[in-house]
Amino acid sequence: MIVKIAFKNIWRNSLRSCTVIMAISLGIFGGLAVISTATGLSKMRQNNAINSYISHIQIHDSNFLAYGRLTDTIVKQKEIVRFLQKNPIVSGFSSRIKIETFIQSAGGTSAVILNGIEPINEKKVTDINTKLEEGNYLSDYKRKPPIILSTILATKLNAKINTSVQCSFVNPDGEATTIVFKVVDIFATNNSMYDQMNAFVLIDHLKNTAHKGVHEMAINLKDESYVEEFRTTLISQFPTLEIDSWRGTAPELGYADKMMHLVLIIFLIIIMLALAFGIINTMLMAVLERKKELGMLLSIGMNKNKIFLMIVLESTFLALISGPIGLSISYLVVTFYEDAGIDLSFASSGLKSVGIESTIYPFLDSNYYFIISVLVILTAILSSIYPAFKALKLNPSETLRTAN
Amino acid sequence: MIYIQNISKTYQSGIIQVKALQNINLTIKKGEFTAIVGPSGSGKTTLLNLIGGLDSPSHGIIKIDQTDITSLPENDLIDFRLHHIGFVFQSYNLIPVLTAKENVEFLMLLQKKEEDQRNERTIQLLKAVGLENQIHKKPNEMSGGQQQRVAVARALASKPDFILADEPTANLDSSSAENLLDIMFKLNQKEKMTFIFSTHDSRVIAKAQRIITIDDGQIINDYYR
Repeated sequence: MIVKIAFKNIWRNSLRSCTVIMAISLGIFGGLAVISTATGLSKMRQNNAINSYISHIQIHDSNFLAYGRLTDTIVKQKEIVRFLQKNPIVSGFSSRIKIETFIQSAGGTSAVILNGIEPINEKKVTDINTKLEEGNYLSDYKRKPPIILSTILATKLNAKINTSVQCSFVNPDGEATTIVFKVVDIFATNNSMYDQMNAFVLIDHLKNTAHKGVHEMAINLKDESYVEEFRTTLISQFPTLEIDSWRGTAPELGYADKMMHLVLIIFLIIIMLALAFGIINTMLMAVLERKKELGMLLSIGMNKNKIFLMIVLESTFLALISGPIGLSISYLVVTFYEDAGIDLSFASSGLKSVGIESTIYPFLDSNYYFIISVLVILTAILSSIYPAFKALKLNPSETLRTAN
Repeated sequence: MIYIQNISKTYQSGIIQVKALQNINLTIKKGEFTAIVGPSGSGKTTLLNLIGGLDSPSHGIIKIDQTDITSLPENDLIDFRLHHIGFVFQSYNLIPVLTAKENVEFLMLLQKKEEDQRNERTIQLLKAVGLENQIHKKPNEMSGGQQQRVAVARALASKPDFILADEPTANLDSSSAENLLDIMFKLNQKEKMTFIFSTHDSRVIAKAQRIITIDDGQIINDYYR
C-alpha cells in the first residue's frame, strides 16, 4: 500500500512531476550526448593518429629516441622481423629510416623529418597511401628519387608535383649531405602538425645514411586489445630495445584520453548534482504542501520509518520513470549519429589542426548506460533523504492545528 | 478507561508562556459519549491532542488502560495510537490518492491484518456508515459528509479503544452533520465504542451523555445527563 500511495502521490501534481521527469530525462540525454561525442572525438583522434603515423607498437634503439643520432639503428632487426613474421596476431610491420633535414625548394625552406619507408609494408601499418592526391606511393619514378610532401609543406615550399626539392643533413660521418628528390605526390592527413613536419621517400634512397640499419619499426596487430600484452612479449624477447605502444609513442593521446575521462567524470558529477537539487526541491515542496496529510498519517499510526520510505519511494519512482526515458532518447540519438555522424565542417580547419576530422561519430560504451542508470537511482534516493527527514520532524498536533 | 491526572500544558509563544491547560483531572470510562465544549482557545483541542498522544503534557500523567502514554517513546506512542485510538478530524483528512475502501483498509494494513479480514471489516464498516455503494470513489469524488463518514469508518477500522473526534461536524451541512452523529451514536450504543468530541456544535452536545466544559484551560463544568 505504501508503494501504491507513493506512486500515486507523484501524480497528484502531474504538471510538476512531468516537468521534473522531463528535466531529469533531458539531463541524462544531455550528459550521454556530450559523453558520446567526446568519446567519439577522442577515439577518432586516437584512431587517426594510430592509422596515419603511429601504428600500434614502435621499436627504436633507446639512444635514437634520446639523441636522434643516425648511427643509433635497431640491432637484431632481422631477428625481430623473423619473430614478427611468425606471430599470428601481427597484421603488418614496416621499417623506417628517419632523418631530420632541411628541405629546400625554389619557393622556400623548412625543417622536416624525412621518413624512408618500404611502401608495400608501410601500407600494412599506416594509411598514408590512401591520403594521396595522385595515388603515386613512391612507385613511379625515373631518374631522381621520389618524395611525397604534405599539402601544407608543398604550399609552404611552393612545390608542386614533378618539381624538385633538396634535403640537406649531416650524415653519420659528419659530412654535409644533400639529396635531390622529385615530388611525385602530395598527401594530407587529418593532423596538420604532423603533415607540416613529415615527408616520405623510399628507404633504399636513405640506406647509406644509416649504416644499412633502420631507426624505427612500426607494428600493427590484428586487434588493438592485444597491444600491451604483445609489447610485454617483445620487451622480454628484445630487452635492450625501446619498445612502446601507441600510448608511449604518443603520450599526448593517452593524456588526452585520461583527461577526457576525468572531464567526463566531472561532467557526470555536475549532471547528478543538478538532478539531486531538482529532486530535493521537488520533494521538499511535496513535503511542505502535504504537511497536514503527513501529520494525519503520523497521528493515525503510520510510523516514521514508513513515512520515510514513502518519501524515498516517491523520488525513486521519479527517477525510475525519467531514467528509462532519458536512456531511450540517448540510445536512439547516439545510435543514429554513430552511423550518420555529426557534421562539424564549419570548424574543419580548427579540428584538423588537432588531428580530428570534420565529421564526428559519437560512441557510447554500453557500460555508460548502466552506470548512468545506477547513478540516477542512487542520486534520487540520496536526494530524498533530506526531504524525508524534514517530514519526520513534523509534529502531528502542530501540523493538524496549523492546517485546520 | 482513560485517567488524566493533574495535567497542564504550557506553550511558549515568543517570550510569552501560554497556559493552554491547567491541572486537569478527568476519568473517562469505556462506552462514554463525551463532548468537551468551550469557547475557541479554551483548550479543547489541546486536551484532545494530549489524550490522543499527539502532544505531550508539561505536567501530569495520562493513562489509558494502565499504559502511561506520557512516558512512551515516540515510536511506541505511534504504535499505541495505531492499535488503541481512532481519530476523526475536522477536515476529514483522508488520503486523497486512495479510494474510500483503501482509506478504511489502510490502518488494518499498518496493523498487518490478513487480506480476508481486512476486506470483510472494510465492507462491514462502510455499510455501517452507509457508503457501501461508494467504496471505489476517491475523496474528491465524495461530498464532505461522505468523506467524514469514511473518516469515521477508518477510525473504527483498527478496532480502537476509543475515538477522538475534533470538531467532526464543523465543516458539514446540517443534514450531513445529523447523519454522521446518528451513525456515531448508534456505534456507541451498539458496540459500546467510546467517543470523545471536542465541539461547539449544539447537535453534538444534545446527543452527548457527558459534557465537560473547559474555559481558560480549566474544567469549569463536568456532568452526565
